[in-house]
Amino acid sequence: MPRLPLGDWVDTSVDWLQAQFSWLFDAVSSGVTGLYDGIDAVLSAPQPLLFAGILAVVAWWLRGLAAGVLAFAGFALVDSVQLWDEAMATLSLVLVATLVTLVIAVPLGIWAARSKTVSAVLQPVLDFMQTMPAMVYLIPGIIFFGVGVVPGIIATIVFALPPGVRMTELGIRQVDGELVEAAEAFGTTPRNTLLRVQLPLALPTIMAGVNQVIMLGLSMVVIAGMVGGGGLGGAVYRAIGNVDIGLGFEAGVSIVVLAMYLDRMTGALGRQVSPLGRRAAAKARAALSAKRPGAKLWAHRPQPVTALVGVVVLALVAGGTGFLGGSGTGSTTASGTGGGQGKKISIGYIPWDEGIASTYLWKELLERRGYEVDTKQLEAGALYTGLAGGQLDFQTDSWLPVTHAQYWEKYKNKLEDLGSWYGPTSLELSVPSYVKGVDSLADLKGKAGQFKGRIVGIEPSAGMMGILKDKVLKEYGLEGEYEVVDGSTPGMLAELKRAYERKEPVVVTLWSPHWAYSAHDLKKLADPKGSWGKGDGVHTLARKGFAAENPEVGAWLKDFELTEKQLTDLEAVIQETGKGKEQEAVRTWLDGNPGLAEKLAPQ
Amino acid sequence: MSRLQADHLFKVFGRRPDEAVRRLAVGDTDREELRAEGTTAAVVDAGFTVEPGQIFVVMGLSGSGKSTLLRMLNGLLEPTAGRVLFDGRDLTALSPRDLRTVRSTKISMVFQHFALFPHRNVLENAAYGLEVQGVPRAERETRATEALELCGLAGWEKSWPDELSGGMQQRVGLARALATDADLLLMDESFSALDPLIRRDMQDQLLVLQQRLKKTIVFITHDLNEAMRLGDRIAVMRDGRIVQLGTAEDILVRPADDYVASFIQDVDRSRVLTASAVMTGGATPADCPDGCACRPVGPDTLVADLCAVAARAPHPVTVRDSDGSVLGVVPTERLLAVMGGLGARDAGDQADAKTDAKTGPKTGQADTEAGSKADTKAGSATGSMAATQPKKELTARA
Repeated sequence: MPRLPLGDWVDTSVDWLQAQFSWLFDAVSSGVTGLYDGIDAVLSAPQPLLFAGILAVVAWWLRGLAAGVLAFAGFALVDSVQLWDEAMATLSLVLVATLVTLVIAVPLGIWAARSKTVSAVLQPVLDFMQTMPAMVYLIPGIIFFGVGVVPGIIATIVFALPPGVRMTELGIRQVDGELVEAAEAFGTTPRNTLLRVQLPLALPTIMAGVNQVIMLGLSMVVIAGMVGGGGLGGAVYRAIGNVDIGLGFEAGVSIVVLAMYLDRMTGALGRQVSPLGRRAAAKARAALSAKRPGAKLWAHRPQPVTALVGVVVLALVAGGTGFLGGSGTGSTTASGTGGGQGKKISIGYIPWDEGIASTYLWKELLERRGYEVDTKQLEAGALYTGLAGGQLDFQTDSWLPVTHAQYWEKYKNKLEDLGSWYGPTSLELSVPSYVKGVDSLADLKGKAGQFKGRIVGIEPSAGMMGILKDKVLKEYGLEGEYEVVDGSTPGMLAELKRAYERKEPVVVTLWSPHWAYSAHDLKKLADPKGSWGKGDGVHTLARKGFAAENPEVGAWLKDFELTEKQLTDLEAVIQETGKGKEQEAVRTWLDGNPGLAEKLAPQ
Repeated sequence: MSRLQADHLFKVFGRRPDEAVRRLAVGDTDREELRAEGTTAAVVDAGFTVEPGQIFVVMGLSGSGKSTLLRMLNGLLEPTAGRVLFDGRDLTALSPRDLRTVRSTKISMVFQHFALFPHRNVLENAAYGLEVQGVPRAERETRATEALELCGLAGWEKSWPDELSGGMQQRVGLARALATDADLLLMDESFSALDPLIRRDMQDQLLVLQQRLKKTIVFITHDLNEAMRLGDRIAVMRDGRIVQLGTAEDILVRPADDYVASFIQDVDRSRVLTASAVMTGGATPADCPDGCACRPVGPDTLVADLCAVAARAPHPVTVRDSDGSVLGVVPTERLLAVMGGLGARDAGDQADAKTDAKTGPKTGQADTEAGSKADTKAGSATGSMAATQPKKELTARA
């Protein structure tokens, strides 16, 4: 069977599309970004609790008092775990994606309902869209639309579109044929048949589709977080990367609150907007109040006018305080001095400790020098793609020449290596220090029983896994005795943590620097034969041309260097200060190291 | 001029319908052969005329093409070949727009499963056709309310379709069709989904309404009893073709083939046949013994009523015209033969030959007979209905 170069064709066509239609992608990107920014600005303007109040009044109106109270409690919880801004960013992302999806899906569904050909053609396309793993088209998404919220929104739209189209088509097709015939028999135009008979009767099904679209959109926010979408998805993604169970849970619960709110509200809205739904609801209410008069209070719903007045009043108050609050916080950013003159610089980072530390260090330094800095948290592939595409200016966490070799190979013509700032790093197998008698790779021989014959590995695609399987095990004669378990970095870390807490023997693949060494008391197994090879350096990479355009920053980055002590100190301060306060931690750390800022970024 | 005329109508579904029509028209193929090729000939060469004020019933089993035929009459389906003339206008030649105008103003339809819009209340449903016409709200509500009253639904305007029983829902369907004041009413198995008592009630009410409104009605049914109760003229369909076209009596007395004959076995002939159909024409009335309880009957008397008279008379019952002249006599044994369906055809043929000789061509008489029959039946079926109308009105119709 000859190898079909399907992947190459896709590669070529993606390049071709990017070259030919960059104007279109740019237009889509700026349109979607504009919509997102607008909605996000509105949603995050009011005081969190006031906005929670508005959402609660809406819930009260749509579902009753109990729903209103619960909604308020839910959003207050989100605010109290300090994920409000992230939640609003996620809400905006979901709303934009839903809006765009419906604008596309409903007309497509109507078209498909009226034409068998369209329906037949759409069917496989929709299947393809729905089942293709999102990560597969996320990276091309970055090539087309750049990192940030747009590829996340586009991926969400692609994923959420099929149920929207299908439910619309189904809803219209479900309308009793005799009713449509009756409309026609009385001389109704096709347009009015659609508007007066088919759509009103299909509305409950269409609203179920809207509900599906929103829920699928919410399920995509984590993936959007991997390409710089930020929001709760970003928080979850970071929590996974750092095995931060607490943050993961908080962000997860916040997503659940949003999901439940949106689910219940769209469900109720569906009943509210469709004439049949209103009838059914009125009937149910009458039956309920007849049966259990006591249930009335919790099921009480205000008149639409009352609800509207409530929302407007809260919104006005929110608008007022938001305006005042906004003018109060506006002054803090432009405090920097020096040659930056407000020039914008965008830094991307993978949520690894050294990446976070160095990125926020440079954010702080550059802002002190008068630059306007924007940071984006990304997954490694997305980070390199974004950098090569020029949407990011630089990143400080490139492990070269070994670990990130494949990214460097792919994009090296579009990138510029500003040199290593930390090194050498090392790859190793590690065991907890309570495992006695195992200090070197050679000591593992014959102890497979103790470790259940397993070496807990990370992603099978990672460079070090290849070295481990092909070289290290062979040279120390461990082949056959140990099985290398493929998995993921978070999985490996979770397993390490579990074993560590039970004081069980475990051997894991690890590398330095890594926070696991400060979190747990671990032992790096010596490599007397040098099988792992020489370590990587942590490099700073910039997009091509960045250093030439910004000679000052370019020079600083080329000279950038941290010692192991400096880096671990900084990471520790960041850990202590807590999530979301990275920059604050950097300031504290810089205050404790007088003169360092001057040294790193001399005026 | 006829109100409605169907002229060699064909409807063929599937591939190359025109060729199928050509082959069917010259008798080159039949329905089964076409079906084997994947082509369905739903209606084959159907032709009939409906006069203003008539109830024309199309009777056939499911799959006989009767519903397809009905949908060609208002253009919901486009005939593969043939023409539909409505008041002399060829509907098949109209643009979609003009056709919609005709449908919204001149032709309305009542459906088997009522087809009420569940998201509209009773009044809005009844006013639907007027809404499509663009009649202002106040006027259309007045007219819809009138139509609802006519159908016995005064006071139910604000109810919702799902709150009504089947019979009431179909009254709303009827009101919706009547509200537009269309001349032609197409009724597609409109009473088939109702239970027998309600169905009978609705049939009676339709006949009563018809006496007042004089619509032209094309009524589809699979129930021959219903067809005979309602129809001034009946077309029996089988496999897409009209196999017999005539009055109820024609079909009962002279079924065109064994297929039709097998249908009429279940029909209560005493409520369809009249004295004129079973009498021996030209016979001399029997001499009445003194104190005889007999009385002469009119030619339109139903056989059911005739039996009651014959039971009390020791001799054949005399049939007299309205002016008193003797038309013929009905011997008791003949009544029994007709009622038992024994030799019904022979009996019918004899009677027919004699009736023809006496009263002229049957077809000319058909409307009068059927009209008065409808009248009598409506009156006899439910005493509660104010059904008995002056005879004048009925004769004027014919």
